[in-house]
Amino acid sequence: MKKIFSISLLSLLSTAAFGASFLDSIERMKWGDLDVVWVEDSKFPRFNAAFYFQGGSLSDPFSGLTQGTFDQMASGTSKESQREIAEFFDFYGADLKHSVTHEYSVYSVQGLTKDIEPVMSKVCDLFTDAQYPQKELSSYLSRAKSQLKNLVTSHSALADRIFRQISLTETPYATPVEGTLATFDKLNPVGMKERLAELNKTKKVLYLSGPSDISKLKDILAKKCKWTSETTVKRLELKKPSSQSAIYLVPVPGANQAQIRIGRYVIPSEIKGKYDHFGFLAGFLGGGFTSKLVQELRVKRGLTYSAGAYVSMQRDYGRAGIMTFSKNESAAEVISLIRDVFLDISAGKFTPEEFKHQQGHQIGGFSFGFEETNAFLSQIMLYDHQERNLQELVNFPELIASLTPEALKQANLEAFPWERLTIVVIGDKSLEKSLSRIRPVRILNYQDYL
Amino acid sequence: MKFWFVLFALLMGCSSVKENKSLSENIHIDVEELKLDNGMTALIVSNPKLPIFSLQLFYKVGGKNEVPGITGASHFLEHMMFKGAKKYGANTMDFIIEGSGGSTNAYTTNDQTVYYENLPSSELDKILDIESDRMENLLLDTDAFNKEREVVLEERKMRYENSPRGQLYLEMMQTLYKGTPYGRSVIGDIPDLKSVTREQIFKYFKRFYAPNNATLILVGDIDVSRAKHIIKEKFGKIPSSPSVEEAHKELKDEDFVPKEKVDQVIAKKGESPSPIFMLAFPTYKAGHHKGYALDVLSSIIGSGKSASLVNQYILIDKPIATSMYSAHQSLEKSGFFFIGGELVRGVKLPEFRLDLVSKLKGFCQSEITERSIQKVKNNYLTGLYGGLDTNAGLGSFLGERQLIFNDWRFYKQELDMYEKVTVKDVKAECEEVFAKPSVFVSVWNMHK
Repeated sequence: MKKIFSISLLSLLSTAAFGASFLDSIERMKWGDLDVVWVEDSKFPRFNAAFYFQGGSLSDPFSGLTQGTFDQMASGTSKESQREIAEFFDFYGADLKHSVTHEYSVYSVQGLTKDIEPVMSKVCDLFTDAQYPQKELSSYLSRAKSQLKNLVTSHSALADRIFRQISLTETPYATPVEGTLATFDKLNPVGMKERLAELNKTKKVLYLSGPSDISKLKDILAKKCKWTSETTVKRLELKKPSSQSAIYLVPVPGANQAQIRIGRYVIPSEIKGKYDHFGFLAGFLGGGFTSKLVQELRVKRGLTYSAGAYVSMQRDYGRAGIMTFSKNESAAEVISLIRDVFLDISAGKFTPEEFKHQQGHQIGGFSFGFEETNAFLSQIMLYDHQERNLQELVNFPELIASLTPEALKQANLEAFPWERLTIVVIGDKSLEKSLSRIRPVRILNYQDYL
Repeated sequence: MKFWFVLFALLMGCSSVKENKSLSENIHIDVEELKLDNGMTALIVSNPKLPIFSLQLFYKVGGKNEVPGITGASHFLEHMMFKGAKKYGANTMDFIIEGSGGSTNAYTTNDQTVYYENLPSSELDKILDIESDRMENLLLDTDAFNKEREVVLEERKMRYENSPRGQLYLEMMQTLYKGTPYGRSVIGDIPDLKSVTREQIFKYFKRFYAPNNATLILVGDIDVSRAKHIIKEKFGKIPSSPSVEEAHKELKDEDFVPKEKVDQVIAKKGESPSPIFMLAFPTYKAGHHKGYALDVLSSIIGSGKSASLVNQYILIDKPIATSMYSAHQSLEKSGFFFIGGELVRGVKLPEFRLDLVSKLKGFCQSEITERSIQKVKNNYLTGLYGGLDTNAGLGSFLGERQLIFNDWRFYKQELDMYEKVTVKDVKAECEEVFAKPSVFVSVWNMHK
């Protein structure tokens, strides 16, 4: 085992010293009302344009409006049908994606550089002329409802959905971005057009990569999209989560395995200035085969196939959590073991070697975040959204190298105080007895969370 | 050595193309090849952009090499490869790799088992030492073996027993390839997983984990001549397996041909409130020239938002399905074309199946046009860029071809074949494949 800890942090730090040169490669521009962050990438003749919209599902009067607005943006314009639009983008091999979070939305277009003009012009047509035809909307709603009712086929996805709703129940972040069976029927063409019009007027930032001749995009966006940045979104202030006294058990048919989620939401004042501490903690707990939880649950006891931990932030809220699964009969044991791991770390019961190992893991892994330009741009986007200085990104290896065991202990105390953690288990109803030895059990019906 | 890659706007027809070169002539990957005396092949590509590299070690062993009674042996062994060898003992290699910022994992398929690591460049010597140690001296510790058996059983539950989609795929493979090695479960049957012994796995390891059954790929910030020297030093001394060639020769192509002569319809009860299904037809093994036209066909009917299946079953007033897809899967010894999807509640499965089969035959005339083929080629190009964007992606691209075709350069032939595919070729394959006996499997909680 001695060899394990012979890693030289200094040596790893020296290999991670290139970060500053990557910062130099970022060009920030202003194209009218549009902020642009540009990284040249000539490896292949393709471009990637990711449009950040300041505004996500928190702006929705009902859950699922922003998601539905983006989902159905290509369902028809005044000139073209859904099929014609789909055929157009598929023909050019253009990949259109969008993601909606509670705080912001991203619409991204990837394609061949030679096709940037027709592809981006058509994208602008969608933003300016999407009609949301009722016929296509009805079809979309029918499919969306059916898929949501079938979510029970993925116990893991179901666990994630229910855990969000329960652990964030005191906040507006509890509602699922993608909507619910109850809110789908509120979607209508008028409301979606209005939401799109709002998005067209909100602050936007373009995160762009590709060869240098990509600058012609500026003219296309100015002439065709005609975006403005008139409106900004309201900020929310959350209170710390309150104490939790129960385990929420959600029985599902035919489960011979229990999905376990443990965690809570985090507010900015808890994490500000300590992003790296909490990221370090997440890695220490559940980042890879050598993390504390995987060692305790899988390697030492064979209780699970995987276990993961995260402490992640948007801007005005974040989440700290553990996700794992086990056979039904081991679920209570797994939860107890996770609690013991939390208690041990908070009490400083970890070795200097374990601590140094995680430092090596995070410093050495720093370079991989720069391998794909798009992934690098996504990091920049998140930093910008969180209003963090990019210098923090460059300084990451040094920040990790300077962390102390005390900082890890403190981060764990703050992120995972047992009495404030929500516990959700998806599994067989027979689990009630064993789980009640940890906390009182409340049985929930999964259909209430669809 | 420098990794360079030049691609012009090719795949004629989509725009103004001024180059006369074919796509394969425009893609050049500078690969340094090394063949050791013990039969091991190593491929190295230098890419100094960042101080990182990717290693992939392909072993030509998978589910097809197992025999009844030890199904799941390849996958179980894959787990045990992380449980320690003579020099790097139990639980050690993960700590070394992750402690330097790297990551590691592995996967097992019907045809191969692949180990991969992404690491900082400074760790090249160490990882080659680790990989050679576990190739030669795997411990297979009894306690670890029994503990890992439980982990594999949990993984099986997660991927198959608790997953209707996993059940669907397993049932489809077991029905289509009934009585052939591809009809066995790669993750293993539960009784076999519970009974397989350490000795059986050790014997399996000694036969298949040898330099003459392995291909090592390195892509990234690597000094090629130094890497070659270390590879020779670490792996050159490992003896080759005397029986692995024979094991491969025993597997004749004809033993993998699906045997069913009539359509099979399987209804399996599972916890899916809406029916999910797969319809599969037997095709050709990897590299067969007809397979490339079938790849194009699968994209026309099942890829993208404008695919034929999407237009027929999803983007309609009263949707019949919430998702539809198709793919052509080429395995080393056989292949299959499949269509799958999730139906909305209320759709009657027998009628849907008949309608689908009828529509597929109709697609052969209505959907295959110059434009639809060009669309597929355009998408193939963007997909190719995406796949080769990382060290790991390029390594996988080369390794797959070296393992299956014994020649990483085979990608050039593949690109040529895609480029030459015509409307006539795709129509002919469409007519042929959809006339073959099929397997239709559905999983639904309403089935008995």
